[in-house]
Amino acid sequence: MAGAIILQAAVPGLDVLTVGLIILLQERDYKNMLWLLPLFILLQEGMGTRPFGAVIVWYAAVIVLFKMGRWLFEVENFIFVFLLSACLGAAYYAVAWLMAPLQNLPLDVQGTLDRSLIQAIFVPFAWRLLVATRHWNPHDQEN
Amino acid sequence: MTLRRLLLLAGTLLILFLGMYSWNQRTRFLDDLAAKLGLEITGAVLTPIRSAQDTAESMWDRYFDLVSVREENEALKQKVAELEARLLANGEDLAELKRLRALVQLPVDQTWRPLGARVLSGRMGPNAVLDSITISRGYSTGGRPGTPLVTHLGLVGRVLKASAHSSIVLLLTDPSSRIAVFSQETRAPGILVGMGTGQKLEVNFVQRDAKVKPGEILITSGLDGKYPKGIPVAKVLKVAPSDYTQFMAIKADPLVDLQHLEEVLLLEPTGAPRPLDLGEAPKEFIGPPAPKSATP
Repeated sequence: MAGAIILQAAVPGLDVLTVGLIILLQERDYKNMLWLLPLFILLQEGMGTRPFGAVIVWYAAVIVLFKMGRWLFEVENFIFVFLLSACLGAAYYAVAWLMAPLQNLPLDVQGTLDRSLIQAIFVPFAWRLLVATRHWNPHDQEN
Repeated sequence: MTLRRLLLLAGTLLILFLGMYSWNQRTRFLDDLAAKLGLEITGAVLTPIRSAQDTAESMWDRYFDLVSVREENEALKQKVAELEARLLANGEDLAELKRLRALVQLPVDQTWRPLGARVLSGRMGPNAVLDSITISRGYSTGGRPGTPLVTHLGLVGRVLKASAHSSIVLLLTDPSSRIAVFSQETRAPGILVGMGTGQKLEVNFVQRDAKVKPGEILITSGLDGKYPKGIPVAKVLKVAPSDYTQFMAIKADPLVDLQHLEEVLLLEPTGAPRPLDLGEAPKEFIGPPAPKSATP
């Protein structure tokens, strides 16, 4: 979690915690998701500047896109995560576009496009790295 | 799950979300909760990281200093002798420097108390759409929402939201930032508007007959009640009559380099009464002089 905050401080607009949410969904670890998801929402809303609500829509989009993808693909596959991240990039822009008039905020089209592209590129690589480190963990292997 | 059930679930969730959203708009409960918890955790993580970064950087610098210290020592001894001689000759320059330092001090009176703060990060996370920074002071340490921020060069912005020990600052370049300003020499009032990161600022509502010149400094007028009067904010770049409005179209550049901020000063209101510049008011009312015909 601390690593995610540091990374987010280094890359403006990036949501590192999304990767954690995707892994929780892949592993169907709903018990941990029950307390981690509200914590993720509080963290992102707390460090953000928009009024409360946009992060809920964003994480709802992540969950809905993941569930839709599960119907069609094998979710442990890198290709699936790659396609999901491309959809998440579009969802990132869509959430910003949707919330800007609702919250009476100006929409920086170019900046939002840049950030959604960074988000889309980041997710598959971070997911691959995290999955690899989890497989090295002997505790996980025992389970 | 059938399509009907899915639609029903989606509709229920949407209604729940909109209900929560409008309730929060009215009460600000969730905004406060997120600021107190989320921002506090973020600040608690980033503060020791920044301290560790500072320590590592200073150790690295010291190592390099040690490597070259022997060679430099001899050269420095020679320079010290030269500089001591020069220092004696430059006594007058030192006096001038003191006067200039006093001149460039922030023009704030005892109604504002400056408090130093460390910049922890720029905008963070997908929810950070405004041009902002996170600093190491919160509402319990002098960084309450609305508190103005400055550096020795000029205005930075004001605190937007705060947790106990960290806060988020809205920079003056953000498109939602509005600051009441005067031009320093011609005293023409206007509203300084941010246009986004890396963009020039705009000054709106300056009358056409105002004699604002490029290069002139814009200072806070204090008329908005948000900032103390007299803080330098921006430098005028371009002045021309607007094609669309009855006012002037003025472009300006912020005085502070907002992309490379490390330390800032918060101006905390002390609650002390503002000193009167024009002297004490007379205790008894003295009216206008009576006409000559009425005097006995």
